[in-house]
Amino acid sequence: MEEEPFEPVKEKPETYGAETPVTGQSQMSAAWSADEGETSASSAQVATLPTGQVFDQIYQPWRGTLNPRWMRNWAILRHHVLGIFKTGHRPWGIPTKLFIFFVIIASSTDVALALLFGLLGDSDLYSLWGVNRDNMYGHVMGFFPRNILYYPVVAALLVGGMISEDRAHGTSALYFSRPITRFDYAAMKFASIAIILFFIINGTLALYYFADILVMGKGWAWLIDTFPMFLATFACGILLAFTYTSIGLSLSSVSRGRFFPAIGLIAILMGTRTMAYIIDTLFDKSILYVISPYDAVAHVCQAIIGTEMTYDHPWLWSLASVVIINGLALYLLAGRVSSLEVTRE
Amino acid sequence: MIPDLTQEGKAETKEWKPDLTAPVVMFDRVSKSYGRINALSGVSIGISGGVTGILGLNGAGKSTMFKLMMGKLKASSGAVRLFGTDPWKNPAPYSRIGFVPEHEKLHDWMTAFDFIVTFGRLHGMTRDEASKEAARVLDFVSLTDVMHKKIGQFSKGMRQRVKIAHALVNDPELIILDEPLQGCDPLARTTIMNVIKELGRMGRTVLVSSHILHEIERITEQIVILHRGRVLALGNSHAIREMLDQHPHKILLECDKARNLAKSVMDINEVTGMSFVNENQLLIETRHLGAVHSRLPKVIVDGKHTVKGIDNPDDDLQSILVYLTGGFL
Repeated sequence: MEEEPFEPVKEKPETYGAETPVTGQSQMSAAWSADEGETSASSAQVATLPTGQVFDQIYQPWRGTLNPRWMRNWAILRHHVLGIFKTGHRPWGIPTKLFIFFVIIASSTDVALALLFGLLGDSDLYSLWGVNRDNMYGHVMGFFPRNILYYPVVAALLVGGMISEDRAHGTSALYFSRPITRFDYAAMKFASIAIILFFIINGTLALYYFADILVMGKGWAWLIDTFPMFLATFACGILLAFTYTSIGLSLSSVSRGRFFPAIGLIAILMGTRTMAYIIDTLFDKSILYVISPYDAVAHVCQAIIGTEMTYDHPWLWSLASVVIINGLALYLLAGRVSSLEVTRE
Repeated sequence: MIPDLTQEGKAETKEWKPDLTAPVVMFDRVSKSYGRINALSGVSIGISGGVTGILGLNGAGKSTMFKLMMGKLKASSGAVRLFGTDPWKNPAPYSRIGFVPEHEKLHDWMTAFDFIVTFGRLHGMTRDEASKEAARVLDFVSLTDVMHKKIGQFSKGMRQRVKIAHALVNDPELIILDEPLQGCDPLARTTIMNVIKELGRMGRTVLVSSHILHEIERITEQIVILHRGRVLALGNSHAIREMLDQHPHKILLECDKARNLAKSVMDINEVTGMSFVNENQLLIETRHLGAVHSRLPKVIVDGKHTVKGIDNPDDDLQSILVYLTGGFL
């Protein structure tokens, strides 16, 4: 019969001596006072057994195989996106979560008003709020309040600490010590923000459109007439989310805090627009709007949705501007992340 | 700013094959400078298998060496290879590596279990696999009972063990631990040292950096000594001490009458110096430790001396570091 390495313990007193069986709890309690150490100090006992005991860690290797690249990327993506809804993932701040909730509600006001007036049968007010070309454009690209108070602020809150806080908290080092390329790291960060923005902008757009169909009982003719508009607006929502994300994330990659990227994004969006507005007002020239990311996207969206153009210059110039702005932002992001040296973590 | 788009691999861990003929870790004339400061200067080492202690003072280049291995830094010159692959260009070798960083910035808002599952999934495990492996490694570091508590509530020693567990979740062949014993209480140190020794026994390559020399001595005799960005010594600590000819070995004899013993010991030709620590302790200096140890018993017996203890007080890492660094400790 194999001899036991140490004398078995018959009872488990709340004290710790040489005879105490080494379990995770007893080690923790003995060493780190996880329980009420002060209160049990009076009942401490001196170890009486002459033999000590040594506990060895027995390592049991894992025999599995690591899965492919997309699964690692999916893990990064869900870690960031699910953090909005659940604990145990990336911790988004309470103000960020509350503001996202507020923006989703606020962005759905047109849904509520269209349904309200439609159900009340007030055709004048319904035509003001119901689904049409201009209202769909306004849902995504309307400047006030959506593109001054809602979407840019959400984007600023999201991008604020996305890469900069990883650098400050040492999380980027944890990513880079995994089989994860820097491209995948940056791409999944980008996708996380863009997806959240996409759901806010295009999710409420889809709700607006399909709620009108279902509740008001729209027919096939109306559907055939408006669906291309809806798709065009949907594409605009994607373009808007992409542009805000690329500018914001590039600013986050060159920063170590959350303040600069957030303020930087708002400043670029509002500053360029304000400057272009002043020039347009003084000299009656709308061309400077090409430096404003919001206006460049808005101009392109006016062209593809087919609403009334509010800019004098050709929309292809704005399209070129959108491509250049995103290209520069992604170039900066790629440059920073690909050569990022983690020196202070 | 031009993007450094030299990452050529897709980190496809199933497609990537390690070079089995290459050392697990290889530095070939690696230098790294921060502006005008040279953190590493022409370091060349190759390490495979077992536990190796990386020793050096603050600023010696230990952390820079680890950061180069972990792809956090890009070498200014020279080549860093892990399993024969440049980790800066292709992070695929990290599927076989576990890294325990020195810094304390864990995800405090997560439970230990969630934290390890998250990083298991970053290795490409499914949720079920990651959960199973998280439970395995948390049991290995004796944290099973508290694995559903938030890391923010943990003590220093427990946080260290969480870091070790997260590094082991992918069952790595190379484990790098940057100052794993720093700030831990004695029981946590013992647990962590047992973990490290067990991994070494498993044939894993384990690199441990530490300032606490006597604890490195308890873990391994295989050491690399860095000083001011250069490798001063590499290999078995006792063999290194033997090679330090310019520093005589010291033998401390504890006896009844040190002066009487000294008269006998003087007959040993290899003894180059003696001093009395007190009436009962005689300190001998020699450049031929083995010869003196072989002749000493006969001298003691012939002279009918009573010797209570023989010790080599400078055959330890502390002395080796002092000698190699010119007394900078």
